[in-house]
Amino acid sequence: MYDIKNKSNNSNNLNVNKPVPFIGKGFQPKTRSWMGYFVFFIIIFVLELGTSTGVISSLTLPKPSDVLETIIQLFQSGLLFKHLVPSILRLVIGALIGISLGISIGTLIGLFSYFRSGLVPVIAAIFPIPKIALLPLFVIWFGIGEGSKYALIALGSFTPTVVATYGAVDNVDRTLIRMGQSFGLSWISIVYKIVLPGAMPGILSGLRISLAISIILLVAAEMLGAEYGIGAYILEAGSLYDLERLFAGVTILSLLGITVSVFVTKLEQKILKWR
Amino acid sequence: MKISRRKLIVLGGGAIASSALSMPAIASNKKIKVGALRFTSHSASFIAKERGYFKQAGLDVEFEFFQAAQPMAIAIASGDIDYAVTAISGGLISLAEKGAVKVIGGALSEEEGIDGQKFLVSDKAYKAGVRSPKDLNGKRYAVTQSGSSFHYMGSKMAAAENINLSFVPLQKVGAIIGALKSGQVDAWSIVPHIAKPLSRGGSIHIIGNVADYLPNYQITTVFTSSNNAKNERALTKNFLTGFSKGVDDYASTMIDKNKGDAGVNEMVDLIHKYVYTSRPREKAAPSIINGTMRLSDGASLNLASIKNQLEWFKSEGLVKKSITIDTLVDQSYVKIIS
Amino acid sequence: MNIKIKNLNHSYDKSKVLSDINLEIMDGQILSIIGPSGCGKSTLLRLIGGLEKPCSGEITQIGSPPAGCLNAMTYIFQDFALLPWRTVEENVSLVLEDHSLSNEIKRSVIDDVLDRTKLKDFSYAFPKQLSGGMKQRVAIARALAVNPAVLLMDEPLSALDSQTRELLLEDFINLWHRKPFTAVYITHNLSEAVRLGHKILVLSRRPGKIIETISIEKPIADRKLIDKDLDQYQKHLWNIMHDEARAADAELLNV
Repeated sequence: MYDIKNKSNNSNNLNVNKPVPFIGKGFQPKTRSWMGYFVFFIIIFVLELGTSTGVISSLTLPKPSDVLETIIQLFQSGLLFKHLVPSILRLVIGALIGISLGISIGTLIGLFSYFRSGLVPVIAAIFPIPKIALLPLFVIWFGIGEGSKYALIALGSFTPTVVATYGAVDNVDRTLIRMGQSFGLSWISIVYKIVLPGAMPGILSGLRISLAISIILLVAAEMLGAEYGIGAYILEAGSLYDLERLFAGVTILSLLGITVSVFVTKLEQKILKWR
Repeated sequence: MKISRRKLIVLGGGAIASSALSMPAIASNKKIKVGALRFTSHSASFIAKERGYFKQAGLDVEFEFFQAAQPMAIAIASGDIDYAVTAISGGLISLAEKGAVKVIGGALSEEEGIDGQKFLVSDKAYKAGVRSPKDLNGKRYAVTQSGSSFHYMGSKMAAAENINLSFVPLQKVGAIIGALKSGQVDAWSIVPHIAKPLSRGGSIHIIGNVADYLPNYQITTVFTSSNNAKNERALTKNFLTGFSKGVDDYASTMIDKNKGDAGVNEMVDLIHKYVYTSRPREKAAPSIINGTMRLSDGASLNLASIKNQLEWFKSEGLVKKSITIDTLVDQSYVKIIS
Repeated sequence: MNIKIKNLNHSYDKSKVLSDINLEIMDGQILSIIGPSGCGKSTLLRLIGGLEKPCSGEITQIGSPPAGCLNAMTYIFQDFALLPWRTVEENVSLVLEDHSLSNEIKRSVIDDVLDRTKLKDFSYAFPKQLSGGMKQRVAIARALAVNPAVLLMDEPLSALDSQTRELLLEDFINLWHRKPFTAVYITHNLSEAVRLGHKILVLSRRPGKIIETISIEKPIADRKLIDKDLDQYQKHLWNIMHDEARAADAELLNV
């Protein structure tokens, strides 16, 4: 008690002048984009050093420069496109089927209580199934050719799209829908001009997940009956225990992933420019 | 089912332990792990363990079972298992090139007069007129993976017949059988004890023998880590000694029938503890007997066949061109046939 | 067009919201409705516009809507209800698109209402670029575009700060002065009610009953921000509402 009193007496001493100390330092995340490249560079540099001096054995990891050389060779021999073109085709067609079906079904679920009650349990049942497990079944249904691969990727991208879509439709601001009704807009107009555009942010963030899953499933789809394709290439490299090719394939796959992510970002910027 | 299988192994182990007391021990019971598939072609290891041959060689063997050959090679490289028997594959050669594994002996091989691996076609292809391997031009040929033994057999046959095949990777034997039955792929090759029951159903047909194209084909080999081959010579020799005794028992009983039907039955009982365990004895027996193939005497190795295989892997660009036969094989352990 | 409400009762589940409402909305006049929060003002507005069905009683339209009316009962919402992905112009265009109008007519309607609400220069702006007051002007422009018989305004200014509110109130008055429209104006703000209403209706706390109706004769255009005549009315209304508001405030929410 006495101390506190004493202190408050001191603080009343108007002769003491000192600037207010700044205590709001830190806790403000900033983007430092060069840091990402820097970390990448360091990792690759350390790996290169480790593998070329033999500290890291060739059984553990390949030399990054050898991986790069493998990619260059792949490009020069034209094999890169022989693998890349069918993969991209499978990805695009499969994802297109899955996503367009997913958006349609998701919208129906969002709009109609009969669809919701009937389909939500079905979707919930399909969602957790590892789609890879169904591949042999798809081979019987759709053939060992492209059909089963499209089906696998389509199913894989379908379920997250449905869930994202009906969640997004649910989250469309109800006052906007009521506004549409109050102006006597037709049902079709309300769906096309209010519900779907309003659900678009949610659908697009679902798209990001769906496409990532599609790329994962691409590799799985190419396990069966694919002579060419990035997934087939990776699997072959794995079975041959050829680490250079394995890492080359994985690098190409992650580049594909980055490309897809950039594509979705561009799409978002275009479609959601109003945000 | 799992429990009962374990029990069987435990019981077997007990039998060995009791008999081992009366035997002179070469060395202290050194614990080793042996990789195996639940295939008849791995019988030599099972016999060597059950009949105490490994014990006599001073080894306390524990089996580690795998679903496919490829992971076994990787498990050797990672040091999880010490010895294994499997087909020469691209992966195995790549691991040898990286200084991780070494082939030290031979196991399963094609031999004239003994039923060997078969070429199969789907009913669809059969009906379309495929009656022998040379009719397969332009057809879809199933393989587990590029660089697998199936790929090798198909490719060698195609070269000999001067035809083109497109190879379809299907990862697993089960998937291949499904695809063959439904006509998704046209042809495949496999060991007789799988081929024959399949052809009985009528949806798959046998059209030729692998041995016609690859006589004396060394199908599987015994291999170990480079470290074991180089630095654990005594241990490796002991393993091969035990293994060879298993091979001898297998060949004399199952192929040469030295002990008659009673001997075969006894052997089937033994093998059934490891292979087709989910089937009753009477159903498993025909498959086990049908699956009988020649296991190389004394684990001897047909180097000519291995060289042939290595050359093929190199020519297909599946493995590095710089690999020599000595990178792959340590010839110092067993009799080399060439 | 007049609107007549007779013996209207409404409840949600078991709780009664509106009780025995009788009133008439006269053509070309503004009716202000005030009452404590939760008294059922907004429900009454939704019932008038047909967004909800009354449990009992009648709501009748007497006479026909004016010529060229595309949507008789038109709302202006408290939170503006603008489509964020459409520009100002497109938001107005939305309510015209379902009617088979030629592009020229649409164009001229849009230009006219944007002109009347002083939004001409912001045709291509998105809602997020606009201030609250501007957003509500867009909503008003949209409502005017359908040439409504009755404007149903649900606390249109309560999301705005007081200066913006005053500016918009002046805009309303000017709009009405240039071309009188029929409107129901719901508010909890007494000064807004007396500035705009030809008639002011006071609802009790839930279940909402009409406890008083007053008429103000002074022309809307002559009413000012600081206005002795209006103060009288405002004081009177506050006296009526004071106890109701206190009682309503003390109630537990069970909506």
